[in-house]
Formats: sequence, structure tokens, C-alpha cells
Amino acid sequence: MGRLLLIWRLALRDLRHRPVQAVLLLLAITAATSTLTLGLALNGVTSGPYLRTAAATNGPDVAASVLPSGPNGTQAPDLAALAPLASAAGVTAASGPFPVAFATLRAHGHAVPVQAQGRDLAPAAVDQPLVTAGTWVQAGGVVLERTFAQALGVTVGGTVTLDSRPFRVVGLAVTAAVPEYPGVCYYMTCNSPTGQAEESGMGLVWLTAASARGLATSASPLSYVLNLRLRDPATAAAFAAAHGPAGLTGPQSASGLGLLTRQEVQYADNDLVSVAQQVLAPGSWIAIALAVASVAVLAGGRMAEQTRRVGRLKAAGGSPSLIAAILLAEHLVIAMVAAAAGLGIGWLVAPALSSGGTGLIGSPGVPALAPGAVGLVVAVALGVTLAATLVPVVRAARTSTVRALADSARPPRRRVLLVAVSAWLPAPLLIGARLVARRQRRAVLTAASTAITVMGVVAVMAAHRATDIATARFNWFAGLPDPVFGRVSQVMAVLTVVLVALSAVNVIITGWATAVDARQPSALTRALGGTRGQVSAGLSLAQVLPALPGAVAGLPLGVLLFAAANGTGQVLVPPASWLAVLLLGTLAAVAALTFIPSLLTARTAVAPLLRAETT
Amino acid sequence: MQQEVVLAMLAKEPTHGYELRARLRQALGPVGEELNAGQVYVTLARLEKAGLVVSAAAPGVSERPDRKVYELTADGQQRVAAWLAEVDWPRPDLAEFHLKLIAAFAARLADPLAIVDAQRRELLRRLRDAQRAALAEADTSDAALLLEGIVLRLQADLRWLEACERTWTNRRSRS
Amino acid sequence: MTLLCARGLRKTYGRGDALVRAVDEVSLDVEAGETVAIMGPSGCGKSTLLHLLGGLDHPDAGTVVLAGRHVDQLGERGLARMRRDAVGFVFQAFHLMDELTAVENVELPALLAGRSPRAARRRAVALLSQTGLADRANFLPSALSGGQRQRVAVARALVNDPVIVLADEPTGNLDSAATLEVLRLFDDLHQGGQTLVIVTHDSRIAATADRLITMRDGAFIDETRLDGGTAGSLARLAGLDG
Repeated sequence: MGRLLLIWRLALRDLRHRPVQAVLLLLAITAATSTLTLGLALNGVTSGPYLRTAAATNGPDVAASVLPSGPNGTQAPDLAALAPLASAAGVTAASGPFPVAFATLRAHGHAVPVQAQGRDLAPAAVDQPLVTAGTWVQAGGVVLERTFAQALGVTVGGTVTLDSRPFRVVGLAVTAAVPEYPGVCYYMTCNSPTGQAEESGMGLVWLTAASARGLATSASPLSYVLNLRLRDPATAAAFAAAHGPAGLTGPQSASGLGLLTRQEVQYADNDLVSVAQQVLAPGSWIAIALAVASVAVLAGGRMAEQTRRVGRLKAAGGSPSLIAAILLAEHLVIAMVAAAAGLGIGWLVAPALSSGGTGLIGSPGVPALAPGAVGLVVAVALGVTLAATLVPVVRAARTSTVRALADSARPPRRRVLLVAVSAWLPAPLLIGARLVARRQRRAVLTAASTAITVMGVVAVMAAHRATDIATARFNWFAGLPDPVFGRVSQVMAVLTVVLVALSAVNVIITGWATAVDARQPSALTRALGGTRGQVSAGLSLAQVLPALPGAVAGLPLGVLLFAAANGTGQVLVPPASWLAVLLLGTLAAVAALTFIPSLLTARTAVAPLLRAETT
Repeated sequence: MQQEVVLAMLAKEPTHGYELRARLRQALGPVGEELNAGQVYVTLARLEKAGLVVSAAAPGVSERPDRKVYELTADGQQRVAAWLAEVDWPRPDLAEFHLKLIAAFAARLADPLAIVDAQRRELLRRLRDAQRAALAEADTSDAALLLEGIVLRLQADLRWLEACERTWTNRRSRS
Repeated sequence: MTLLCARGLRKTYGRGDALVRAVDEVSLDVEAGETVAIMGPSGCGKSTLLHLLGGLDHPDAGTVVLAGRHVDQLGERGLARMRRDAVGFVFQAFHLMDELTAVENVELPALLAGRSPRAARRRAVALLSQTGLADRANFLPSALSGGQRQRVAVARALVNDPVIVLADEPTGNLDSAATLEVLRLFDDLHQGGQTLVIVTHDSRIAATADRLITMRDGAFIDETRLDGGTAGSLARLAGLDG
């Protein structure tokens, strides 16, 4: 017990003794854990939404519909084709047939073709859409599918017109029977009043049955849809093959009958969200790589001091296990706090991303983080801190106590060429270049981190450009923003912010480590006649100089990343002006993040800095 | 001139008087310059009387001491061996100065601090001379080593004088 | 000609009970070509005084005029320029850059002052031969002995032709043989007319100075010129009884 207390006290004492380092380490690991949490939460959101919606709305296993047939689609469909399905073998429940009218909805200056399903006030046995805002259908009222409403910019209480008839928007709902907007016509089971199949862009609304019937015209008669639940949902495809026309995606069969299975709807929904995942996956890896780089710099910076500390503990009689326990206890505290903070941050930020734009039940309120996800985040936090701890412990365990005590920081390496060349440069560059030469591994890390950040941002830029081009070329959605791309843009924007924030943390940490490492040579340079401004500029340049090749390398890498990550292998280069701004902006940001703090913290008097011996 | 030193210088082989003096001069460098030239021969004469050394004049050469050849006797060699094995160190001289300060203070004859200061200044001057002489010597000469010894001893004495100054300052401020 | 004129210098640290008067109303004049040694026990403030004279620290009160410039009134830029051109500093811990060779260390202040790399290199090489280290010019400090390292540091202090060289315990980290090397170097500089102010607790160096000042608790308590002959001879000091 006494030993545990001792370990605890020593660990806390060390944390209090060097608060800045502890805080920076905490920051870096929290960045990693919050990114991971965010990624996991969003992943959870985007991978299983269909199932959640289907469970909540009693989604159908098979949706059977009959569309108007005949040369112009003006012949009223044969309801008799639907009747036997409700009592077919394997069917446990059915709802409908519900009338469906095709109309043009106008709102906010947009004119969009929609499917209007007529429903009863009483809940249906199969496919009762879940109302997420407002109420269910009423006389004179219309309920819009949620994603469709968001794309239109319509909210509960607004007014829209269907075929010039005004309706109040009484509610928003989600359903699993039909792929969400804009995938309503994913399988081309749609029809438009003009007889041409709309490829996409059709919206889904619900009305009272009477209102729906009222919308039917001789030119555009009603369709009907029947929702079925099977005893064994896995047999939906067999059922559809047995009872429906041969080939689902072909034009309507002679009876105008079409069957859509839940697996097909799920596939369509997931296809739409998988785009977001395609962006999220590489983005998360990049973010984690940046976070790991920060931790590596910090760990490297603390290495010498940790080694010496271990030496002192050994000299005082500490066994290797005791020493390991002390170091571990210290980092355990940081790891747990970082894990908790990361989980909290990810938990809070995820709803902002996932609820907007998903017609499926993403996360009303708080996303449920699976226990597995929480465990993974904690494990990662522990793993990263362990790595930061383990190396000095192993090193110290292997070196003799005497050497560990005498071990000041890694002696700086010597680069003859760099030193010779730097003599010809003006003072700040001379100082900066020589500082870079002292710690080459850190310079490489800086270059790598900058490359990674720029790569991520360039990929995002390319994706933006792609969506701009696509939107300009294919005005599919009657002028409405494509919600899929909208969601993707949102994810990309968040990713960019996260990348930039992580990168800033990385720069600050590296800048701090460099400044600490360079305290002695900086003081000496000032004693030999360098001004405070020159030394600060040199410190800043020591970061900018390696960042430059990193940023330049990141530009083509980002283009390659986009080409690899987007499904079509399309290679797109963002406009040169954007790239130039990114490059200069990155370098300016690095310079500012390191120059200003170093100038502020540089003390005027040189003597106290020199008095401190190197050990 | 320590008798044993002269004995030891004869231990290798019989030597002429002037050769002996030359060897001594070389070993002592500037320190030896102040030596009385005849001191060596006086010592040699005493050693001869004590039976530790015998001298012989070369035939046809006058009996001047610098031209005589000196040689160790068996007793002389024994004495040399015993002397080489001795580890007695030269006698320090601190008690006299220490008592000087105490007496001056007790009888109020003089300010101990003034005495210390004066002594310190004198020692510094000697240190200056010794150091200058050391700088003038080549690094490898025997004399350089001797001069370093003088310098280091003076340094040690000066350190003690600094301690005396500190103690006597405190003592005075307390009384 | 008075090169350095300091009046009423004061520097304190801490507050209340922990107040330390590192330098307490110190005034000092140094003539051109003089070697001044400041001696005193450790912690008496001699290093602090030297930092104040050389512009490495700001005094709480008092003035310092060096080569006609008011050091205490200079801003950051002015101080840096002064450290480059007027003052050469030699530290106890040498403070050489570990990753630079001897000649690269020596030329550094010249490069910082904006001299052309070629001119700086030439001057550095010349100074290293002056200090007897021409054959070690391309050695790293880790390959040099303590005395050699300090001689490199002295050469570095001289590279920009300073009016005054300030040395803070230059032999503090050296054994007696290395001390002799540095002593010889200072003696050569003195013969060459260089003005030196040396803070030391090594009486050997102090003894060879023109003026010897003793410092205690931040103030000067004694000042001597070691003129005149000595009462004793070297022979007696060596134990030869004449």
C-alpha cells in the first residue's frame, strides 16, 4: 500500500512540475481520441441506418406497386393484380393498397415532381412512417419526407402547392419502404405525369387518401402500393421473383406490377451513404496519423529527461518495475483524461454532422456509441501513451545507471553541407537552418505532418471541385442541392476543420519542443550578437523550412489521394489559385504559430538563460 | 643546500664539481639563479668530512673544488637509498602567522585584518613573479615543473589567507 | 583613455526576506589596454557584474558607458550590436556549439555581424593560429581538451575586434595545465594591448593583472596594484635556504 502511495505521489509530483508538457501531451492524445470517436460515431450512423428505420417504421419486406399502363401511362392500373399478394404464402402482414398520385410540388421557387401517397390517420400495420417533426397526415395537410424537406428548405408550418393546390406542411417523416431522397426512383419504379420515367430527383410526400385521390387526373391516374411483411424476410427476393414480373428494373410489365424487396431498398440507401464513408475513412486515418506525429514529437522531446529521471530513480534504489510503474501511473492519468475528453468531444460533435441530411434515423439527439467503440477509443489512448512511455523505460532499463544520469539530450548531429551553406545566408536563415540541422528527425516529422495536412486539404478541394462540376453538369434535382453531395460536403468541411486543428496542434507542439531544445543555442546566439527578432525568426524558420517541401509534396499527393479514394478513379486537379493560396497560407500559418509565441516569450536578458547549465 | 640532494646527484657516476653545479642550475632554472655559487662546494666539503663522499683531483690539475672529481662512498650510497625512500614532507609554517594575528588582536597592537591584507598582497606579488617566470619557461623544462609547484603552494596559502580574512572580519564585527 | 565607465550599478533578485543584492552600488573605470581582475568568493555577484558590464543583463540602477555608448540605455538592437562589435565574452562553461567545428564556432559572431563568409573564415583561421590551434581548426569541441576549448572560445570572443574582452571564470572548469595555456593566451593578449576584465577566483590569474579588485556581497571591498618587488626570493619559496 505504501508503495502504491509513493508511486502515486511521485507521478503526480512530476505532472505538476511540468504542467506545460503534460497539457500538450493531453492535447495531442485528445485530438486523436476525439477524431477516432467522431469517426466511429459517424460510421455507426452511416452503416446501419436502414435497419434502424425499418425497425422503427415496421418496414415492409416487399413493396408491391401497380403503375398506370398503356401507351402514355394514362390507363388506370389493375388493382386486381395486387389482391392475391396480400394472402400469398409466406405473408404475415399487409397494409394498403394505398393510392399514389404523381404531382408537381412548388415551394420556395422550386418545382419538383413528387409521389404523393394517400394514407389513413390510423397507423398502418406495415410501413407506418415515423414522424420526426410535426404530426401525421391531416385534411389539408401534407407530410414531407425529411431529407426531401431539408433539400427544399421547407419546415413544418410552411405552405407548399401540389399541382397548384395549397397544402400546409404538417409534419416530416422517414420511411424504409422507399429509398430516401434523392433515391426514390433508384430502381426506376417511378412514373411522371408526362409518361417519361424520371431518373431521380423525385420527392416523396404523404397526404390523406382523399387528398391523394383528388390529385389524380385523367392524364395522370393513380398508382397503388401494397406493403407486405414476410415470415422469413430473407426470402423476399424469391417471393419477388415468384410473384412479380421477370426483371425488376425493366419497364413495367403488362400488368404494370412491380415488386421491390427490402434488400434492394437497403442497398440503395447504403449506396447513398457510402460516399460519405469513402471520404470519412481516409480522412480519419490522416487525422490519426497527424495526432500520432504530435505525440511522437512530444515523446521524443521528453525522452532525454525521462531517461535522466529513470537514472535518478535507479540510483535511489528503485527497481525496474517500480520505475515502470511510476512512469505508467503518470501517463495513465493523462491517457484516461484524454480518452474521456475525446469521447466527450466526439459524442457532442457527431450529432451536428449526422442528423442534418439523413432521411434515415441517424441520431435524434445523442448518437449511441457502441461499448465496443468506447473500448476502442480507450485502448487507443492507452496504446499511444504506452508507446510514449515504453521507449524511455526500455532504454533506461538497458543503459547503466551512470550513463542514464549523464545522458543529456541526444547530442545534435552534424550536417556539414547544411552548416557550410548556411554561412552564406542572412542571420535568421543561418540560425534557422542550423537549428534544423540539429534535429533532423524532427524536421522530417514536420515535413511529413505538413504533407499529410496539405494532402488532406487538397483532396477535399478536389472533391469540392468534382461536386461543383457534377452539379453544374447534371442539373438533376430541379435546381435543388443534391443532398448526398451536401452531406459529403459537410463531412469534408468537418474533416478539413479537424485536419487544420490537428495540424495547428502539431505545429505548436513541434514549435514548443524546438524552442525548448534550442534554449541554450538561442541564448548563446544572442550573447554573440544576434537580436531577439533574429533568433525568434530563426526558430520560426526552423519549422517553416521543413514545412515547405512537405507542403509542396502534399499538393500532388492530395490529387492522388482523391483519385484513389473516389470510386471512379477520376483524377481532378483543383484550380491553381486555390493551391497557391493553400501553399502560402500553410507556410504563413506555420510561421505565425511559431514566431509570435517565441517573440512574446523571449526574455530580454540573456544572462539567466546562459547561467543554466546544460544538464 | 640539502646534503642529500648533492649526494643523490653523485649517485649515477663520479662527477666534476662544475658539472654538478651545471646540472643543478639546469634543474632549478630561474630559481637556481639566486643560489650562491659557492654553496655547492661548501656542501661537498661537509659531505667529505662526514665520510659520505670522496674527492680526487685529476693529475696535473689544481686542487680547485670545481675541478675535483667527487664520488660516493658506500655510506653515501646507503644514505641516498634511505633518503629516496623517505616520505617526510617539508615543514609548513602556519602556526607563526596564526599566532601573530591572535597576539595582535589580543594586545590591540594592530588590526589583524590589516596584517592579513598586507601578507596577502605580498604573497600575490610573489605569485606574480613565480607565474611570470613560469610563463617564460618552455613547457617541457624541469624548471617549469618546479615553478608550478611554487605557484600552487602560494595559491594554497592565499586561500588560507582568504579564510583568515573572512573569520577575522566576522570576529571583529561580533566584538 | 577610459574605455569603460560604470557608476552606481545595482542589481537585486528576489523580494522581502529572500532579497539578494547581487551588485550593490558598484563603480568601475577601466583604461584602455588594462587588465583588471575581480576576485571574490562564489555568490558575491562578480558574474552578475560582468553581465551588466557586457550588456547581457539590465541593471536595476546605475549607468555603464562603454566606448562612448550608454549601454544601460540601449534597446534590444543596440545591445545586440554592442555584443557583436564592442564586447567579446568568454564563459566559464565555454559555451561552444557542439555540432560546429572550432573554426565554425569562431566565425559565428562575424557571420551574425553580417561579414562575408569568406572574410569571416579568414579571420577565424588567423585567430586560431594566433591561439596555437591552427591544426585543430576542423575538430569538433568534443575532440578538444578543456584548455583547447577555452582557447577556441577566446578566439571567438576576438573575431569581431572587440574593444574589451570580458571573461567570466575562464579557468573555472580547467585543470592546472589547461589553466596555464589560457593564462599564456591572456598574457599574449595583454602584451598586444587588449583590454581585459577577468572575473576569477584563481589567484594565479589575478596576480598577473594590472589591477586586482576584491568583491564581497555585491560590493568592492579592496583594490590593489601589485607594484613593487617582493621581500622573498623564488629560491626560498622553493625550499632552498640560500
